[in-house]
Amino acid sequence: MLAIAGTSLLPGFTVIGLVLGGVYALAAIGLVLIFRVSGVLNFAHGAVAMFATFVAYQISVVNGAPGWAGLLVAIAAGAVVGLLVEVLTMRPLAGKPALTKVVVTIGWLLVLQTLAGILWGANAYHRPVQLVSRAGFRFPGTHVVVGYDQLTTVLVALGLALATAAVLRYTTIGTAMRAVADDPAAARLWGINVNRVTAASWMAGSAMAAVAGVLITPLINFDTFSLTVVVIDAFTAALIGRLTSLPWTVVGAMFLGLAQTYPRAFSSQSGLGELVTFGLVLVVLAVLFRPGGRRIRLV
Amino acid sequence: MNAPTSDPALRRAVVLGAVVFAVVAPAVLSNYLRSLAADALISGMIVLSLVVLTGLVGQISFCQYSFAALGAFTVGSLVAGHHWSFWMALIVGTAFAAAGGVLVGIPALRLSGLFLAILTVAVALFFDRFLLAPGTWNAFSGGVEPWRPARPSIAGISLDGSYAFYLFVLAVFLLTSLLVWNLRRGKVGRVLRAIRGSELAAATVGLDLTAWKLAAFGVSAGLAGLAGGLSAVAVGSVSAGSYDFLHSVSVAAVAIVMGVGTVASAAAGGLFLAFGPWLLQHTPLSTQYFNLIVGGLLVLQLVFTPQGLVAHNEQLVLAWRARILARRRAADVSAPPDDLDRPPATDELVTSTEASA
Repeated sequence: MLAIAGTSLLPGFTVIGLVLGGVYALAAIGLVLIFRVSGVLNFAHGAVAMFATFVAYQISVVNGAPGWAGLLVAIAAGAVVGLLVEVLTMRPLAGKPALTKVVVTIGWLLVLQTLAGILWGANAYHRPVQLVSRAGFRFPGTHVVVGYDQLTTVLVALGLALATAAVLRYTTIGTAMRAVADDPAAARLWGINVNRVTAASWMAGSAMAAVAGVLITPLINFDTFSLTVVVIDAFTAALIGRLTSLPWTVVGAMFLGLAQTYPRAFSSQSGLGELVTFGLVLVVLAVLFRPGGRRIRLV
Repeated sequence: MNAPTSDPALRRAVVLGAVVFAVVAPAVLSNYLRSLAADALISGMIVLSLVVLTGLVGQISFCQYSFAALGAFTVGSLVAGHHWSFWMALIVGTAFAAAGGVLVGIPALRLSGLFLAILTVAVALFFDRFLLAPGTWNAFSGGVEPWRPARPSIAGISLDGSYAFYLFVLAVFLLTSLLVWNLRRGKVGRVLRAIRGSELAAATVGLDLTAWKLAAFGVSAGLAGLAGGLSAVAVGSVSAGSYDFLHSVSVAAVAIVMGVGTVASAAAGGLFLAFGPWLLQHTPLSTQYFNLIVGGLLVLQLVFTPQGLVAHNEQLVLAWRARILARRRAADVSAPPDDLDRPPATDELVTSTEASA
C-alpha cells in the first residue's frame, strides 16, 4: 500500500527534486568559481547566501518593497560580503596553505551566522521572499502541477550556469579568470591584475550565492541555520564536478536534488536528505578523488 | 626571534599553580559558577580532542560534538533507559565514539585536509538531522525519553553536589590532559610528528601510517565521547541541540584560536567556551554575541598570530622575562632552546596535509 502511494507521488517529487537541484547548482557554481580562481574552498558560501537573503527579506518582506528590489539589493549585498572576505582576509593570507584559508572562511561562517541571528532572530520562522507567483500549470500529459516559481528557479539556475560558462570562455575577464586559475604567476607576467580578477570571482560567486539563497527560501525552512548548511549540498554537487567542471556540477546538483527528494515519497523518517548527502560525499570522495585522479577543465 | 620558547621550571610552576587554583577556587564559588566550571572542563576535553587530531595529525574536524553526542546518547540511554551503571555506560559510550572516529578516519587516510574538512561537515549534519533526530534512538532508548541520567557516586561519595562533581570532572580532565601530554612528548608524538612531516619518509622507516593515523582518530573521538558522557550527567539530560554542527564549528574555532599545539590550550579554550557567554551577560551585549566574537577572533588570529593565543602569550611572557634576566646577569650564556616544545604554527600543521594531497 505504502509503496504504491509512494510511487504515485514520484512525478510530483521529480519537480521538487529538480527545483532543489537547480538551487544547489546555483550555489555550487559560485563555489566552484571561487575555488578555481582563488584556490579557497569557501565554507562561508552558504552563510553569505543566508545573509544576503535576509537583506532581501528586510527590504521586501519587512519594508514591503517589491520582490525584485529585494533580490537586487541582496545580490549587491552578497557581492559586497564576497569582496570584503577576499580583500580583508584572503589577500593578506596569500601564499599561506589552503587549509588556513578554509579555517578563515569558517570564522566568517560564524560571524555571518551569528550576526544574522542577532539582527533577524536566530530560531524563528521567517516569511520567505516570494519573487514569482506560486500559481502554476499542469505539466502536459500528467497530473503534476508545476509552479511558476519552481519553473523560474530551474530556468534561472540553468541560465546562470550557461552564462557563467559563456563568460569564462568568451570574455576577457573570463579568460583572465581561467588564466589565474591555471597559473597565477604566469597570469601576472601576462599583465593580468591577479588581485582584481580574484576579487571579481569572489564577488560574482557570492552574488550567485545570494540568488540561490533568495530562490531557495520558499522551499526550505527560512532560518539562519538551514541556509548556512546548504553549503554542504553545494559542496557535494561541486565534488561531483571534481570542483572544476561546471557542466558536471550542474548534473551533480540535479542528481543530488532528486536523490534527496525521492526517499521522502516512501518514508517520513526525518533527515533522509542528509543521509543521502553524507553517502554521496563518501562515494564521490572515494571514487573521484582517489590519488592520481584525472584533472578536468573548468569549462 | 631568538627568545627562549620554553622554560621547564617556569612551566612546572605555572601548571602546579593552575591545578591548585582549579582545586581550591571553586570552593568559594556559587553552585551555578561551579557547574559552569565543570562545563569548562568538559568543553576543555573536547578542545583537547582537537589538540590530538589537529595538533598531532594535522587534520581538522568539524564534527567533534557529534562524537561527544555518541558518548552522551549512549550514557543517557543506557543509564536512564536500561539502568546500567554509569561507569559501564561511560566506557561503552567512549568506545562507541572512538569507533566512530576510526570509521571517519578511514576515508581520511586517502584524503587531504581540505576534503576531510568537507567530510566532517557532512558527518556533523548527518548526525544532527538523521542519527540524533527524534525516533532514531528509540530502539536503543529502553522506552524512556527524554533521558535523565543520574549522577554516580565514587566509593560511597555521591557526586550530586556541585563541588564533588566538579572535582571528579577536574580529575578526569587532568588525567586526559596528562595522557595527551605524554602522547605528545613520548614515542607516539614523535611518530605522529614524523608522519605529519613527511608521510613518505615515515613509511620508509617502517612506520605503519594507516594504524597510527586511525589510532589518533580513535583517541581524539574517544576523548570527545568521554566528554559527552560526562556532559550527560553534568546537565542531567541529553538533547541533540547541545551537540549540533555549530557547537562543533565553535569548538574548532576556539581550539585554533588558542592554538592546537599545546595541552594548555584545552584549559584556556574550555574556560573561554564556558565563561565567555557568562561574562557577556554582564555586558551590554548578550550571550548571542559569543559566536560572533569567536568567529572574529579566529579570522584575526589566523591573520596575525598563527601559533595561537596560548603559545603567543607564553612567548610574550618569556621574552619579557628573558629581557629582565638578561639585564640582571648582563652577558651570561643562556641554555640552548628546547625545540621539541615549540608548538607548531597553524601554517606548519597544515603544510603536511597539503603535501600529501
